[in-house]
Amino acid sequence: MIKIEHLSKRFGNLEVLKDVSVEIKTGEVISIIGPSGTGKSTFLRCINLLDHPSGGSIRIDGVDIMDPKSDVPKVRQKMNMVFQSFNLFFHLSVMDNLTLGPIKLLGMSQQDAERKSMDLLKLVGLAEKAESYPDELSGGQKQRVAIARCMAMDPKIILFDEPTSALDPTMVSEVLSVIRRLAKDGMTMAIVTHEMDFARDVSNRVFYMDEGVIYEEGTPEQIFDNPQKEKTKTFINRIRSFCYHITSPDYDLYAMNAEIEMFCEKQILAVKTRQNLLLLVEEMLQIFNPFLSSLLLDIVLAYSEKKEILEVVFEYTGEAVNLLDKNLLADELGLTIIQGVTESIDYRHMGNKNRLTMILKSA
Amino acid sequence: MTIEIKKESAALVVKVAGRLDAVTAPEYEKKVNELIADGEINFVVDFEQLEYISSAGLRALLATAKRIKGKSGKILLANIKGGVKEVFDISGFGTIFPMHDSVASALSASV
Repeated sequence: MIKIEHLSKRFGNLEVLKDVSVEIKTGEVISIIGPSGTGKSTFLRCINLLDHPSGGSIRIDGVDIMDPKSDVPKVRQKMNMVFQSFNLFFHLSVMDNLTLGPIKLLGMSQQDAERKSMDLLKLVGLAEKAESYPDELSGGQKQRVAIARCMAMDPKIILFDEPTSALDPTMVSEVLSVIRRLAKDGMTMAIVTHEMDFARDVSNRVFYMDEGVIYEEGTPEQIFDNPQKEKTKTFINRIRSFCYHITSPDYDLYAMNAEIEMFCEKQILAVKTRQNLLLLVEEMLQIFNPFLSSLLLDIVLAYSEKKEILEVVFEYTGEAVNLLDKNLLADELGLTIIQGVTESIDYRHMGNKNRLTMILKSA
Repeated sequence: MTIEIKKESAALVVKVAGRLDAVTAPEYEKKVNELIADGEINFVVDFEQLEYISSAGLRALLATAKRIKGKSGKILLANIKGGVKEVFDISGFGTIFPMHDSVASALSASV
């Protein structure tokens, strides 16, 4: 259905897409995941020529849409897009938002367009909002209207650019369930998303994008359970992380605690886990304290939602030395507490850095 | 952290609330040392409202306890629970200090 070969996109000197070659077949649901700024949205915007590619080719049903002779508006009718920020016409009612395209671009009669739009509004659960204006709707409702408006143009494929990123957490599921419904009905879709659980169970294939290329692709099982490449592994396992730099012995323990608490709150970690984490960090800092004027310390917290594991890494400069070595400690009280709140402690010297990696005991 | 002192006939009740950590432990130690210097030797430390303790807090407890014992006095701990109790258990401090379920029980043991 869509065949993309050697697609590239530059903005000035910045090469956002390097060399993307991929085929999307009818009925496939593709999730595109990856860190921010790696070209996921640009990739979608190039597919429907909202951003004009710098090189390569895009063929839709055999037609090269980058050919200057191709009819771009007609091509765009085949693939509609749902944006993060809804992009509804705010001066038009919900019904008029849906009927505008079919009447103006497809030549549909008002009556047919309204009948079809009402069916679509029923599909997304918003029939009763047909006469409302976008401003009267919640974020989740606006996005469902945007999806219905997409469907009104009978697209062959829908491109979703982070459809839930602008929504309150409470509204995410209503939008995802509409997309799930479309997937079930066989709609071809490409979805840029940060909702990993959703990507996992709605997709046939997952593209992990990094450095402007599709770095790894595979079934959801392959990408989420058994990623092969290093960066994919890091992304899947350390989706959520937080780093705190300590450069002097006069660090502010309470300011750091506040940031750690904020991180825990975002990850919805149990109160006991938070307490253990704060205790672990304080005990480690007590051990590091005599050395903090001569070394730099980074504390990295990485929470893997999938494994429900909180990894705490203490990375420090200086000669190769494990500061938890019993022979170096004045007493073992701090170490005993650290061992009491962790599952494992691993020391490595890599490059010119020391790294102590700990897995916190789960609550 | 806040510290409240209440004089009972059997002992001085030291109520510690909030956090006993690397930042606040020196303050606790200083306060108890002042009380010892004033001649107090029997203490009940009430942890009812203590939310957090780290090794720095435990060390301060131990340092003051040693000083009290040196004067043939007594220090008993009351109301150790939740996360604070877990730290006592992990560190083995639960066996070092006599612990009581309530201030009243600690006071009667002080006599």
